[in-house]
Amino acid sequence: MKRAWLGGAALLLGGAGALWAAVPAPAAKAPAAPQRVVSINLCADQLVLALADRGQIAGLTKNATDLEMSGEAAKARGIALLSNSAEQILAIEPDLIVGMPASRSAALAALPPADYPLLDLETADRLDQIYASIHQTAAAVGHSARGEALIARMQGELAGLPTPGRGRVAAYYQRRGYMTGTGTLIDELMGRVGLVNLAGKLGKPPLSQLSLEEMVAARPDFLIVESATDTVTDQGSEMLHHPALKDIPRISVPQAWTVCGSPAYTQAARSIVSQIARHDAGGAS
Amino acid sequence: MTRFAPPRWTLVASLAALTLIAAVASLLFGAVDLSVARLVAAATGDGDRVATIILFDLRLPRTLLALAVGAMLGLAGAALQGYLRNPLAEPSVLGTSNAAALGGVAAIYFGLAELHPLMLPVLATGGALLSLVLLFALAGRAESPLTLILAGIAVGTLAVAGTSLALNLSPNPFAAMEIMTWLLGSLENRSFDHVWIALPCIAIGGAMLLWNGRALDTLTLGEDAAQALGTDIGRLRLRLLIGTAIGVGGAVAVSGAIGFVGLIVPHLIRPLTDRSPSAILLPSAIGGAALLTFADLGVRVIPTTNELKLGVVTAFLGVPVFLLHLMRERRIW
Repeated sequence: MKRAWLGGAALLLGGAGALWAAVPAPAAKAPAAPQRVVSINLCADQLVLALADRGQIAGLTKNATDLEMSGEAAKARGIALLSNSAEQILAIEPDLIVGMPASRSAALAALPPADYPLLDLETADRLDQIYASIHQTAAAVGHSARGEALIARMQGELAGLPTPGRGRVAAYYQRRGYMTGTGTLIDELMGRVGLVNLAGKLGKPPLSQLSLEEMVAARPDFLIVESATDTVTDQGSEMLHHPALKDIPRISVPQAWTVCGSPAYTQAARSIVSQIARHDAGGAS
Repeated sequence: MTRFAPPRWTLVASLAALTLIAAVASLLFGAVDLSVARLVAAATGDGDRVATIILFDLRLPRTLLALAVGAMLGLAGAALQGYLRNPLAEPSVLGTSNAAALGGVAAIYFGLAELHPLMLPVLATGGALLSLVLLFALAGRAESPLTLILAGIAVGTLAVAGTSLALNLSPNPFAAMEIMTWLLGSLENRSFDHVWIALPCIAIGGAMLLWNGRALDTLTLGEDAAQALGTDIGRLRLRLLIGTAIGVGGAVAVSGAIGFVGLIVPHLIRPLTDRSPSAILLPSAIGGAALLTFADLGVRVIPTTNELKLGVVTAFLGVPVFLLHLMRERRIW
């Protein structure tokens, strides 16, 4: 009875129905491994995709397949996407809900109190918090070894990373002149490759707005921008292409790698390093 | 009936002086404090790089746009008030600015502006023209001035709703912020690219409106008398429609819909003239340039965490004028 109901729910969820049937149920290593994992946060999506078996994942957030927002977007294709609605979560009857944090989700608050196992992840502002989230998620989905291997791989990649920044100043400049400050993942990334965050130098909060004039006057050595703003699509991105900024070298990093504390952290770090190196070698960056 | 009416050239000269002060102040003040000496050095070509970029790439295009957009809005207000013989007529009250913003939004957010840079002013002008035609058809000949204002509110509200809808439908996750800029207007972060879009439109539109002084004067005697005096009302209406649409369209395409400039300026100018429509056209253009440049300076100087939108400042200045006239109208209600 229960299986039939579940099959029905899977069919309702569209493309997921086929997958459900195609993926063999994972061999039960630990009896506790959840089989219907739902993620209700874009950052949790990426950890779940990296660590759980595909067949274990029953639902992700609606942005999980957006290549510009999620570093694991390619893997998410075909998995059911939920629109943060309590009804959809209820229909899945998840045996693990992962969020950031899950316990404060508005959709879950709307559900009748039930015993959904929740995994509350912390927003990562530092690398060690990313490791902690990987560790927690891996344990919760029943693949602890996979988590430890991922952490070891990331540590290995970062250990060999050069620091070509040499104390030069960079500003992470976003649409409409928002600048990312200290105490953020971006700030940590800058430090890791040897750059100094302009926001820290100017004593700005984690997110501040800096006008073009102030940016021109501050004269950073690099502007780090989101690769989505490389083309002008609206007024917010148009400002980053103002002629006044044309002489400041740019480093362009996909937002998908930096917006969440995720395994893509190492990709972001490597990309920044290689772009600085290319600039120093005299190539166009 | 004698009124204080200085000779026309005195008025124009003093307004021009005021505008010059506004323009110079707009070049002197900004987010970064630069000494006058540094700016003068930059202006004469031997300044440091930072001051030169700030002066020529940031403050100069912004100042030029404030002057041009303000002049266009002031002039359009004066011309529309003259033609419609309605003291409340002006591009933002009649919904023209918002309709132009809708055209601009359609050009930018659906990728049309990428096909050709001319698409932006063309669509903004098209939006403005469409709204004016609709408005004149609805209420152009109405007896009560309030009918026109009501029709304008309807057209403007429709355009605002269309703008919000277009932005919500566009694949842009930052739509809310963008909607605000288009509806309240801003000259932040403008470059010479924008000047080249707006200036030709404003020059053409402005010329078409300034040309109408005499015809508007004859119209104060009524349409029949105007026709008897040789005014071709149909042609006048066409020039006014197209001139306003092109000028306001070009202005709004780069600045968003800035309200009330066209309302305030003619009312401030009118008591200083003989009150004939022709006498307020040019002074309203110059006064509009000064007003918007001062308003834009206020936006930069008033300390707020996020930059204040230009339309907020002009609304604070304009709404009292609007209310004053509504109070006077109440006698007719």
